[in-house]
Amino acid sequence: MSHLEAVSAFVEGAPPGELSDVVADIKSLTLSEPQLVAQLAPAFEKYNEEQFATVKLPGSSQSVIISSHNSLGDGRYYDVESSSSFAFNHETQTASAVQSYVVEGAQADLVKSTLKLVGSYVKEHFANAAYGVYPVESDSKVAVVIVANKYSPNNFWNGRWRSLYIFDPASSSLEGSIKVDVHYYEDGNVRLLTDKPVTASVSSGTGSGIAKEISTTEKKYQDELNKGFVSLSEGAFKGLRRQLPVTRQKIEWDKVTGYRLGQDISGGNGKR
Amino acid sequence: MAAVDPFDSALDLLRRLNPKHTSEHLNSIISLAPDLTEDLLASVDQPLTVKRCKDTGREFLLCDYNRDGDSYRSPWSNKFDPPLDEAGAGGVSAGESEGAGEGAVPSERVRKMEIKANEAFDIYRELYYEGGVSSVYFWNLDDGFAGVVLLKKSSTPGGSTEGVWDSIHVFEAIERGRNTHYKLTSTVILSLSATGGSLGELDLSGNMTRQVEQDLPVDNDDSHIANVGRLVEDMELKMRNLLQEVYFGKAKDVVGDLRSVGSLSEGARDREAQRELIGSMKR
Repeated sequence: MSHLEAVSAFVEGAPPGELSDVVADIKSLTLSEPQLVAQLAPAFEKYNEEQFATVKLPGSSQSVIISSHNSLGDGRYYDVESSSSFAFNHETQTASAVQSYVVEGAQADLVKSTLKLVGSYVKEHFANAAYGVYPVESDSKVAVVIVANKYSPNNFWNGRWRSLYIFDPASSSLEGSIKVDVHYYEDGNVRLLTDKPVTASVSSGTGSGIAKEISTTEKKYQDELNKGFVSLSEGAFKGLRRQLPVTRQKIEWDKVTGYRLGQDISGGNGKR
Repeated sequence: MAAVDPFDSALDLLRRLNPKHTSEHLNSIISLAPDLTEDLLASVDQPLTVKRCKDTGREFLLCDYNRDGDSYRSPWSNKFDPPLDEAGAGGVSAGESEGAGEGAVPSERVRKMEIKANEAFDIYRELYYEGGVSSVYFWNLDDGFAGVVLLKKSSTPGGSTEGVWDSIHVFEAIERGRNTHYKLTSTVILSLSATGGSLGELDLSGNMTRQVEQDLPVDNDDSHIANVGRLVEDMELKMRNLLQEVYFGKAKDVVGDLRSVGSLSEGARDREAQRELIGSMKR
C-alpha cells in the first residue's frame, strides 16, 4: 500500500464529526512528506459524498447535503428546497458561489412532493437532520437522502444515521440502505457500524407513498436494532465471559495455588 | 504553537479509526513513520493470536512479551518456538532485566511464580470463560518483577451473533519489604457482530483500557499470585460492566438521540402538557 493510499484510507475511515482530527493526525505523521496531504482531494470528495456531508449555504441556516446524487460535476452541487446550486470545497467543507438552480424534467413534480412529505417525516423523528430528494439516472428515478448527526466530543462520542433510497417509478420499487455509525472513545475506542439493505414497493408511486414507506421501514429497523443490542448482550457477550463463576462467588485466591481444576475454589467450601 | 509529538498523533489516530482494524491501521502508520515502530508495538494492544505448544500440545497466547524475533516462548514448556539459536539459559543477565521480548527467560524464582500463575489463571479462565485460552508471562525487574496475564475466548462460529474477547493485563510488582506496590494496566478488546435477517449487518467492536495501583501485603511468593489474581479479577468485573454499559447502553442511546422512535412533536406536546399540569397543581 502506498503512503497516499494509506492516508486516503484514514480519511475515508474518519468517524462522524472527527474528520478534522484525523487530518491533523495525518499531517503530524507525514511532516516529511507534505505533498501527501495536498494529494488528498479525491479522498475528501469520496468521504463527503459517501457520508452525506452537510453544509450551510452562505446567508442560510438550513443545512444542505453533499452526495453523488445531487452532484453537478466540477465540485458543484444543488439543493432542491432552496432552488440553488453551489460550489463546495471538499477540504474545508464550505460552500460558495451560490446560483439559482431549478429542477425540471419528468420527475420534477414527484421530487417536490416527496421532498415535502419526507421533510415532515424527518422533522418528526430527527432532532438534527438534513434531507434531500433528487432526480437521478437521467431523470428516470428519484433519490431520497437523509442524514442525521449528533456530535458530543466533550463526552467522547459522536454518531451518524444515513439513509439512501432510490425510487424507480417504472417498477414502483424503493431500494436503498440505512447505515448507523456511532463512535465512543473515552479511554478506549468503540465503534458501532451497521448496514441494513432495504427493498420495498410503493404501489401508489406518490411522494406521500414514498415518505410513508420510508417512515415504516426506518421505525421497523430501529426496533430491530434495539432488539439486536439485547440479543448481542444476552447472546454472544454473555457467552464470552461470565459475570461471576457458576457459584456466584469470587475466586478464593489463597486456595487456588494448591488446587487443581474441577475442585471447588470458587465460593467457600462448607458455606453452601 | 508547539509541534505535536507524532507518537501522540499515532495513538490519537488509532483511537479514532475503526477499532476492528487496528492491526492494519498500525501497519499503515508504521509504514508512514518507521521511527515509531518499537514504541507503537509496545503500547498498542492488538487481538491475541493462538499457537500450540509443541512439547505439551497445549494452546498458548502470543504477544510482544513472549516474543523474540519470530519465536514465541510457551508458558507451559518455557521453550521458544521456533527454537532460538542461543536459548536464554541463565535467565536474565545484568542490565537486561526488562528482557522480555529479547529472548530472556525469567529468573528461576520468577519462573516458579510464572508456572503457578499459569495454573491459577487456567482455573480462573475455566470458571469465568468456560473455554478459551490463557497464558501468563513474567519477567524480572530491578526492584521486583512484572508480568502479563492474557485471556482469549471466541464464540462458537455459526450462530447469528459472534464475538471475540481478548484481555491483556500488564502489571508491575515493586517489592518494598512486607508490602508490594502493584500497578495494573488492563485492556479488553471485544468484537461482536450479527448478520442476516431483518437486522442486516451489525458490527460492534472496540477496546477499553483502565489502570489501577495498589499496595498489598506479601507473606511469600504465593501471595503475589493471589494479589495479582484479585487485582485482575476485580478489574475484569469492572471492565465487563463498563463494556456492557458502553456497548449496549451508550450505543443504543446515541442511536436514540439520532432518531427518535416516537414522534418529536408529540413528545414536545406531552412535556408541555406535563409542565402545565405541574403548574396547575402548584397553584
